Amino acid sequence: MNKSFRQSMAWLHTWTGLLLGWLLVAIFITGTSAYFREEITLWMQPEVHDSTLQPGTVELAMAALNAKAPDAKSWDINLPGARQTAVELRWQPAKQPENGGRRRGEQMLMDADSGEVVAPRATRGGNFFYRFHFELYGIDRLWARLLVCLATMFMLIAIISGVITHKKIFKDFFTFRPGKGQRSWLDAHNATAVLALPYHFMITYSGLLLFMTLIMPWGIDAAYENDRRAFFSEVFSRGEDSAQPGSPGQMVAVGPLIEQTETRFGKPVERIQLTNPNRDNAQITLRVNRDPAVTDRQRGGDPTQVFQGNTGELIDTRIPANDPVSPGWRIYNFFTSVHMARFADPLTRWLFFLFGVAGSAMTVTGMLLWVSKRTQQLRRDQQPDRALKMVNGLNMASITGLMLAIAAYFLANRLLPVTLAAREDREIQVFFIVWLVSLVHGLLRPNRHGWIEQVAAASLLWLAIPAVNIFTTASHLFTPLAWQHAAIASFDLVCLILAALGGYTLWRLQRKPLPAKARGARAPRRANTASEQPAGESP
Amino acid sequence: MTMAPPLFLALALAYAGLTSLSLAMKRHHDQVMGRKLQPERVRYYRWPGWLLLALSLWVTLTVWPLGLALFMAVGLVAIAGLPLVFLLPYRARLAGRLAVALPVLAMLTWSTVALA
Repeated sequence: MNKSFRQSMAWLHTWTGLLLGWLLVAIFITGTSAYFREEITLWMQPEVHDSTLQPGTVELAMAALNAKAPDAKSWDINLPGARQTAVELRWQPAKQPENGGRRRGEQMLMDADSGEVVAPRATRGGNFFYRFHFELYGIDRLWARLLVCLATMFMLIAIISGVITHKKIFKDFFTFRPGKGQRSWLDAHNATAVLALPYHFMITYSGLLLFMTLIMPWGIDAAYENDRRAFFSEVFSRGEDSAQPGSPGQMVAVGPLIEQTETRFGKPVERIQLTNPNRDNAQITLRVNRDPAVTDRQRGGDPTQVFQGNTGELIDTRIPANDPVSPGWRIYNFFTSVHMARFADPLTRWLFFLFGVAGSAMTVTGMLLWVSKRTQQLRRDQQPDRALKMVNGLNMASITGLMLAIAAYFLANRLLPVTLAAREDREIQVFFIVWLVSLVHGLLRPNRHGWIEQVAAASLLWLAIPAVNIFTTASHLFTPLAWQHAAIASFDLVCLILAALGGYTLWRLQRKPLPAKARGARAPRRANTASEQPAGESP
Repeated sequence: MTMAPPLFLALALAYAGLTSLSLAMKRHHDQVMGRKLQPERVRYYRWPGWLLLALSLWVTLTVWPLGLALFMAVGLVAIAGLPLVFLLPYRARLAGRLAVALPVLAMLTWSTVALA
């Protein structure tokens, strides 16, 4: 134990970073995309693009539910907002099917203009990436979450040891020295890590908090005597109603109630819930979106008004800011809601997306630095050993390979036949096949040529997405429809930006076959690693 | 999009503040100004730098509630700082000019939107 503290920390940082780094790159990139998961899902269902909220939409929704499930226990109407175009209708059937019933009931989508039920193509949409970023895919959910949780802990260790390792954190705060191989990668890694350090810490620590019942169950087990359900229903209560359906009865028109609620809160009503619809004990619950408060509320606390269904009498007005919240809850609320950014309006969401890009760039530059450093340490006549080649190949798969796979997933969404059986699974299969191919390719060609080929392929695929869109949808970049809903046009624009970034990377890789001022012996041409891959490669 | 103008201003102020702080450092002062930094002039860059960052925080407080505003303010520092870091070695003079131009542009935008 003669090594200095800082050296030990550097060792810890290097190896914890490497061991689960590939997984962390994937978690960061898919997690960044998850800020826009609803927008991604919207883009992936072009059948619902041509739908806009109208004054008569609510009546159309009530009529559709009345036709579909007049005797349901409850109806839920989610009106179109900034993130969706169609009306989401849910209902809880009167008789719960034995063990097959979903807790959230049945669901369908309705066109907000015409009131027709729309059946968009089957896809997992942005939820696939969202789920992937904390429970991966195809392996047991518990083990996957434990693995992601382990990676998150390693990330926290890497953040802390990284700060200690960084010798000149303030002196080098604004420093980037290009064209110097390993040095440049270290600068880029430092810049993306240090400047966005509060975000990195927040996202990692809150990630652990979200996993807290998974990794630290003993406190709950002790206090609730192994009845974990009791803990969840007490702490994360969903307020389920147990009222029996009354006798058939008329309901008042919802329109005036909506006006009343909108005047009360000064915001548009977003969700309408009816319990025991068409009964004399029906209740109509109207919700508007909550203010972007991050700590001052408990879950599910939207400003709400509840009306008696048959008389239209106001029963209850709930303003969540008045709920007392304990300091522990405030901290938990702050971290978890900032992690998920569900409160965010579109502009704030873009900022979070950029934070996520910085996080992805940090992990990516860290992985590339690992290889760059060891490549430059090679003597003139020395070939990289098998381990270094393998790390380089795995880097390729986890960075350019993932970008290829994501692009392929979006292309599959447009190109697979709409009526294909198990279509949503086929899209995911395309994703994993492309990722696997890139892994095999990366391991076979763990050198500059491999990088050039994968970057070229990724740029082409990202460019292909908006292009294919022109031939397969009526909401591509040259239609006014895409610009009506900013999310749709933005998706194509981000694809173009990623393709341009890829093209720039390719140009840099081609232009400079060897790092110009790499110190020490230069690596043999074939074995040279991509030291020019810029950091901004993430969706 | 009523929050776009103040957000732009907060970003611009964060960028200007960071540039000012970097001008208080020898290496970057050389890069941007093309001359050596006199040690007694450090305070002419450091204090305004912190002041601009404080102003940026103050603008975010008008957009978001306290806790979130604090978090977003440090986040904006990252979003403003990364372009600065990568501009300095390539286009140092442009980096300096942007620090003046962006806040002015942001304030003009805000006043135009407010008057309209």
